[in-house]
Formats: sequence, C-alpha cells, structure tokens
Amino acid sequence: MLLSCSTLFAQSKYTLSGTVSETETGETLIGVNVIIPELQAGAVTNEYGFYSITVPEGNYKVVYSILGFTSVSQDISLDKNTVRDVTLSENLEALDEVVIKADVEKMNIRKPQMSVNTLTAATIKKVPVLLGEADVVKAILLLPGVTNAGEASSGFNVRGGAVDQNLILLDEATIFNSSHLFGFFSVFNPDAIKDVKLFKGGIPARYGGRVSSVLEIFQKEGNSKELKINGGIGAVASRLLAEGPIVKDKAAFLVGGRASYAHLFLPLFDVDNKAYFYDLNTKLNYRINERNNIYLSGYFGRDLFEVSDSFTNVYGNAVGNFRWNHIFSDKLFSNLSLIYSDYFYGLELDFVGFEWNSGIQNFNLKYDLKHYLTDKLQINYGINNIYYSFNPGKIKPNNPDSGILEEQLTKKYANETAVYVDVQHDLTENLSVEYGLRASHFIRFGQDELNVYRDNNPVAFNPFTLVYEKATPIDTVQSSRGDQLASFTNLEPRISMSYAFNDDQSIKASYTRLSQYLHLLSNTSSPTPLDVWTPSGPFVKPQLLDQYALGFFTNLKDGAYSLETEVYYKDIQNRIDYIDGADLIANNSIEQVILNGEARAYGLELLLRKNTGRLQGWLAYTLSKSEQRTPPRNSNETGINNGQWYNTPYDRPHDISVYANYDINDKWSINSNFVYQTGRPTNYPIGQFEIQGVVVPFYGLRNVERLPDYHRIDVSATLTPRKNATRKWQGEWVFSIYNLYSRRNAASINFAQNQETGVNEAVRTSIFGIVPSVTYNFKF
Amino acid sequence: MKKKIYPVILIILATLFFSCEDVVDIDVPEGEPRLIIDAIVRVDTTEAFTEVRVIVKETNSFFESLPPAVLDQITLLNVDNPGGGGAGETGVLDLIEPGVYSRFVSTDELVNDRFLLQIRYQGKLFLAETKYKPAVPIDGIVQGDDVIFDEDDTEIIVTFTDADGRDDYYLFDFGFGNFLTTDDEFYQGQTFQFSYFYDDEVAPGDDIVVSIMGVDQQFYQYMELVIEQSEDGFGVFETPAVTVRGNFINATDINNNDVFDNVDASDNFALGYFAIVQEFTADLSIEE
Repeated sequence: MLLSCSTLFAQSKYTLSGTVSETETGETLIGVNVIIPELQAGAVTNEYGFYSITVPEGNYKVVYSILGFTSVSQDISLDKNTVRDVTLSENLEALDEVVIKADVEKMNIRKPQMSVNTLTAATIKKVPVLLGEADVVKAILLLPGVTNAGEASSGFNVRGGAVDQNLILLDEATIFNSSHLFGFFSVFNPDAIKDVKLFKGGIPARYGGRVSSVLEIFQKEGNSKELKINGGIGAVASRLLAEGPIVKDKAAFLVGGRASYAHLFLPLFDVDNKAYFYDLNTKLNYRINERNNIYLSGYFGRDLFEVSDSFTNVYGNAVGNFRWNHIFSDKLFSNLSLIYSDYFYGLELDFVGFEWNSGIQNFNLKYDLKHYLTDKLQINYGINNIYYSFNPGKIKPNNPDSGILEEQLTKKYANETAVYVDVQHDLTENLSVEYGLRASHFIRFGQDELNVYRDNNPVAFNPFTLVYEKATPIDTVQSSRGDQLASFTNLEPRISMSYAFNDDQSIKASYTRLSQYLHLLSNTSSPTPLDVWTPSGPFVKPQLLDQYALGFFTNLKDGAYSLETEVYYKDIQNRIDYIDGADLIANNSIEQVILNGEARAYGLELLLRKNTGRLQGWLAYTLSKSEQRTPPRNSNETGINNGQWYNTPYDRPHDISVYANYDINDKWSINSNFVYQTGRPTNYPIGQFEIQGVVVPFYGLRNVERLPDYHRIDVSATLTPRKNATRKWQGEWVFSIYNLYSRRNAASINFAQNQETGVNEAVRTSIFGIVPSVTYNFKF
Repeated sequence: MKKKIYPVILIILATLFFSCEDVVDIDVPEGEPRLIIDAIVRVDTTEAFTEVRVIVKETNSFFESLPPAVLDQITLLNVDNPGGGGAGETGVLDLIEPGVYSRFVSTDELVNDRFLLQIRYQGKLFLAETKYKPAVPIDGIVQGDDVIFDEDDTEIIVTFTDADGRDDYYLFDFGFGNFLTTDDEFYQGQTFQFSYFYDDEVAPGDDIVVSIMGVDQQFYQYMELVIEQSEDGFGVFETPAVTVRGNFINATDINNNDVFDNVDASDNFALGYFAIVQEFTADLSIEE
C-alpha cells in the first residue's frame, strides 16, 4: 500500500480524462471501458460518464468500448494532462456481431467487484412479461439469488433477504415501494431508464442503510441533439416519452408518462370499480461548462383503486432531486445531490366513515467524491445525511355524521448520517482489492408520546399460557424533537478482492458489513402498500449484516460464454419478528408486538451466459437456505416458535431461471424464459377447533410446509418491420404469452370451512393462467 | 364474511386480482388430540338466572369432525365469594348431552364476582378465570342498499353509542358464524355507525339477529385471531398462520414448589376460552 502510494509522485505521469457519450443522443454512457492495451491499463466511466486514468507519458492507442456500441480507438499523445471527450455510436448491426468485445469481460474478470448484475434497458425490454409491459423488477427476478413471492406480490427478495432490505435508488433517490398494482408492474418506466445495477453482496462503502441489496437505477438525461418521441400501446398501459435539447449540446429535457387503463379489472366484478396507476418521469440537465453539470430530476407515481364508491385507495412515491457534478481536476470528480422523497398511502372507507393516510418523507444530502489517483488506485469518499419523518397514520371522519374522532398516531423522526471511504486498488497485475469503511450514525428524535414499560420491556410473556402479549405501559412521556430517544453508531467495513489467473479466469472474495435503521412493518408473505416503515429506537435495534462471499469467474470459448459461480453466507442480527397475532396497522405501540430476532441465509449461485451469436441469454441456478429465529430473552420464556430456527417466507431452496433471446432475422426475434422455484414456505393446519360455531384451523411450528413448486414459461416474439430502415417512424410489435402452459401456481392454499356446505376445504388461489397480449412500440 | 376493517382492505385489494380459486387435496399433518373448551357465557341482565353452558370437544385432523370430549369433572367456582349461598351457588356442571355441560347460576353473582372454571380431563387439570364485562345496547339496525363486492351483498347499518370514559372492546355476532371485533380507540364516547355486508347467506324474508357483547382486551384479541384464522386467505397478503391460544392454563404440573409455570412444557395446552360477557341483541327482517 505504502509502496504504491509513492508512485503518486512519479514525475512523468499524466492524466487522461473526459466524458463518454452517445453520438446520436448526447446521452452519457455508464460503464464504458477505457483501455490502453499497451499498458494493460484501463478505467471505466462512472455513473455520469466521466473517466480518468493516469499513466506514464507516451503515445498510446486508447480504446473506448461498451457492449452494444461500436468501439472507438483514438491515438493520444500524452505529454500533458489531457481532456478527451469521446462519443460512441450505437451498434445497429448487433445482429451479425459475432465477436463480443473481449475487453469488457476481461475488465470484469479482474475487478474485485463481485455479486453484481447489470442489465441494460435493452435487455429489460426484451424479457417477455405479463401483459407485455416491460419491467425492471421482473427482469432482475431472472437473475440468480433473486426471487419474489409470485404473481401479485410486491418487491423482490435478494439472497434470502426481505423486501424491505433492498435499497432502491432511482437517480440516487430512495424509492420506498417499487410496485404498482401489488407487484404486477414496477414503478420504473423502462423507456426512461438508462442502466440498472443490482448489488447482491460485496456492496461498496458508498452505499448503506439496507442489508440485502442495492438496486441502482439511472434515468436517461435526455437527448441533447434532437427531439425524439417514443412510446408504446399495450394491453394494460400506454407510455409516451419525449426528450430533446433545450440548448443544443448544453441543455436537454426528458418527460415520460405512463398510465394504465382505468377499468382494468372491471370484468372481475359485477360492481363498479376502478384500478389504475400512472407515473411521470422528468429530467432536465444543463452542461454549464466542461467542469460543471447540473441535473434536476423528478418522479411521481400513484396507484388508485375505487370500489363501489365505498372504498378508495391511493398510494405512491414522489421524488425530487437536484444534482451538481463538478470536476475539480482531471483526477477529482464530485457529485452533490439534494434529494427529497416520500411515500404516501391514503384510504377512504365510506361504510365505516373514515379517511386514513400514512407515509414516510425524507430529505437527503449526499456529497460523493471520486479521486482517480493513479491507474492503479482510485479513492471514493463522501458524506450522506438523511432526515426522516414517519407518519404511522392519521384517521379522520369523512362526513359530518361519522362517529370517528380525528386522531394522529404518534409521528416519529430520525436522522441518519454516514461518512465513507472506499479504495479501489490494483496491487499487482493479477491481484486487485477494493476496501472501504462506512461509519453510520442514527439518531431517533423525540416525539409527542412514548410509552414507558416496567423493566423497559414492552412485550410480556405469559408463563402459563406460553403466549407473548402486549405489556401495559406504566407511563407515557413527551419529548421534544430536539431530544434524542436513542442513537446508534456502526462501523461497516467492506472488502473485496480478486485474483486473476489470466485474462479469462479469476477468483474473488468479499466481506461486507451493513447496518439498517429502518424497518418495514409487515408480517405477510409479501408487503402490502399500507405497511408502514418504522425507525430504530428505544425498543427496536438496527439490523446488522455480515456477509461473506466467494466466487469463481471464467470466460469460455473466447468470451462467447461466461460462467459466474458464487457461494455466500450471511447473518443478520436484530431482524425484527412479530409475536403471534400481531396487528401492525394503526398500532400506536408497535413495540408491544415485535421482538428482536436474527436471520441467516446461505447459498450457491451459478450464472452461465451466452454472450454472442443469434442465440443469447443465460441460465441461472440458485441453491439456498434462508431462516430466522427469535430465541427466548431469558429462561422464563420459550421464544417465538419455541425459539427454533424456521424458514423465512422467502426461503427457496431451488431456483432456476432460463432466459433466451433468438434473432431469426432482421424482422423477427423470439424471447423466452422459464422459471422454476421451490414452493413458498407456508403452514398447513395440524388440527382444528370450534368456538361459538366458528371453525378455526390451528397450526404447529411456523413455515414447516411448502406450497407446490412454482414454474412457468413465457414467450414473446418481436416484429420489426423492414420498412423501418427507410423511414423516420420506427415501429415494433411485441406479441407475448405469459404462463404458456397455463400452470395454476398457488399464490396461497387456504384452509377454511365452506360457508355454504359447512365442509372444511383446502382452497388454492392462483392468479394467472395463460395470458396472451400485444404491445406496439414506436419512436420518431 | 367481512370482519375487521384492515383485513377488509386486503381482501378487497387481493380479490381484485384473484381470478381463480379451486379446492385441492392436501395431506395435512396431524397433531396430538387436544381438549377444546367453548365456555362463552352470554348474560342477559334482565334474567334472574343465566345458564353456564360449556361445550367440550377434542381436536381432530382439519378434514375430520370433532368428537365430543368426556370430562372427569367440570366445576365453576366463585372466586370472590367461595362460600356462595342461595340458589345460584356454584359447583359441578352437569352433563346434559355428550360434550355439553350446564349449570344455572344467579345472574347477579355472575355479573359481580370473578369466576374460575376448573376442568379435569384425562388426568390433566385445566383452569381459566374470568370477570364479567358490560356492553352497550344497539341503538338500531336498518337495511341499506349499498354493495361492495357483489350485487347479492346485503347491507345492514348498525348504530350504537360507545360508553364514555372507558376503553371498550366489542364483539358483534351477526349470525351464520360471522363475528366482528371493534374497539373504541377512534370513536371514544361517540355514537358510531357502520355497515356490515352479508354475502348470499341472507335472503329477503329472513329474520336476522345481531348481538353486541362487551369483552376484555384479551378476549378481544383472541376473537380477532379466531376471525382472522377462520377467514378465506388473501394470497401472499394473507395474515400469518398462528395457533390461537385461549385463556385455559394447564395447571397439572404446576405445584408452586419447584414448577411455577409451563415454560418447559410448551406443548401442554388446551384450546378454547372462558368468558362472561353482557349481550344485547337487535333483530331485523330482511326485505327486497
């Protein structure tokens, strides 16, 4: 380390830096490899298209390359610090391209970053999906280690983690609920997206706050060359997106909207109902000069449901974001972000006479610096501060005759600060390491009412009936928002390293510690939109993760295939668990129904990709286990589930995904995917009892049984008319079939008495059979 | 069918999508048979005597019927006035038909004192203690014409006035095995009105009886779970399955000498509940 630092001061080194963007649109490109083959040295453009590489004086051939674009090679004579902005053209003959740019894979082989999957907007749009609506979350579900609870379930689970353990960033802003219509669609408009990256482990120190994964999504900046409009008309929703220059090559805008049709689910009912969603993406960017760039971006999305005028439900995210890129020097890049984001949930129940709303708001300030010291050493550091305000719920009467009294459940406030440093260091030609440290500090501020319990214990245990019960508060105290009810500090070291045997083979290992201070209160298999977030505090401890991963990466047949293999083990302390029968909604004393438990998960992931030729795609297999337990707090208790480990609802021992894309000719291409998963853990009754005429199933230990295995095949065919080549209007038809063999995958199996016959039954609920659809996409 | 407010939301949302339900054959595991005790005593305070009727059965596999249990003894004890006296004197309940034990007790005594139900069954001793909870009368029920899910829904609008100045928990019995729990957190002391929707179980010409019972917090939570666990599921949004434990304690091994609790015998429990609650009823003839 010391040795290599001294090279910083070597005399004859100069820096080559600049921005790489797309020739046709001016859109900056993320992840472009900038390589000097002669030196075996290289750099990669960052999230804002910037690169910097420092090498000895000399005349070099520099190659700029990224998948899907024609590589550019430039001769640069480096005798002083040089700025070189480069543009790359989209590779329209991708079809006939047989040789993948080997450099791309070589770089990944050598980089210490592991457990990461990147998907381009193009891939996401190709994956066949339900009702033809291209979808980010549905695409990442095809990756190893990523699952969800099936159709109509929100979010996704990474390496056996919960949905609330994913940090979802849209242009650096946190998104709290990634789903529309209960997970049928995600909130990201695929037309507005540039790049999607999922970190499942080896998470760099610049990220924090969630323990399972980071899903980082960057929106397009907008075409700075000419006005472009694209859109699509689908079976469920239509999209329209416009982008163009405000000042050519300096300022651009992007506005995208998407809306589903209002009476989507009308046929399912014989009463009036509406169910629809919409979202709006906007972005403005202004290139002030070579060293300064500013961005304004926004997202607003809402889901609406109405049934018979007696039930109205609205929810969604709103995000506003200002960013300023400043290049201090050719070696020092900075980005300042000011972000506001919120999640709102609102409900009106006319037949009970009330309105309800809840939500979470946060204000986020981030300052990130990237310091490209030498071609072997890059240091990233920064600071992040987030202020949170939680509204667990407010109820008020919806008409003057309602007996409901207005009441605000106690609002909660918190602040999370983090500083980090992250070093990317190539120690030798074959050994690279990335190490970092994040220090996070969380403060829970005072609130209007806080319960006080005997022995500080909000959950009582009845030693006779052996049931956890709410403890009765002995007092209630008020505190001001300047007070600190609790604070936590955590040091989160991260390290990953790679050893490359050659250009095609490497092993990598990583260790990650992460802390999570926010918890989504949800005890269903998949979170619901009305679940609320709660901060750590006097009774709820932060979740702490330790994850270890080891991987082997290899290119086969000259890069035509690649194989990624990883094993991981992770352990989470203080995973909250819910006592039997906990009610989580409109509960002002949530501490009375939760206990701090622990969780662990381990597994093996394989990802075999075919990167070239007419047939491309991947095969992903995951073998894994995910469990949790809440042991007794003392010898006078049994613990939840008798203190035994039990399967989490997201435990899927076997998970296979196959995705294939076959280009028949320049007119037709076919896409298909196959998914197989072990069934979700569930409970079957071990018996029944009757009280006051009600038949009640009763259960043994938690999550012992499983639903039947889940599997299905989806196919789609894309027709690109040949006349596109000669005209401005570019049209495209996508024909798709979801669940080709109409498998009735069980969303749940429910045990209840049939109300009509009085006979006890097991009833399987399945959501979709075979669903064909057609979508038309256009741009001009 | 529609019970608590929040689950209702989930049902509505979930139902929007569930295009397909079918009955499937599932091999269910089977636990050891347990004793089930249904000892909910509904008190009409205008009557001088109230029947304490206890129904006991044994658990069975989910798809089998429940056999009546044979008790060694079942005794009701007045904890506050163990000597008792008068016509309502407490004591042994009589077997009146298989699995049904009964005794008439003075309503006055039931309303004012704490009671212990003591059951001896297959060498085990089960105990539960309870105290009467008052209710408030139903101000009125009328039929409405709104529907939620289905044109066949029958709406009834129930009005009652919450007792001021105390935390109340209520249990409604709408008949046909339909119960609803509600507490006064958001309508303390107010006249409160809500709609309840019957499925096709109710038709024009039927007479329905709705009753309101006052319950304590523990029994309220118990019935909340009973309702939840007996409901149709909501797919992945279904509430987690739990064993609904009542208030009977297995006191067989507790000697207060070296065994003070059941922590080391966690599988040692009976199902069911013992509660004494005030009940008011109202009835309504359903019209077209």
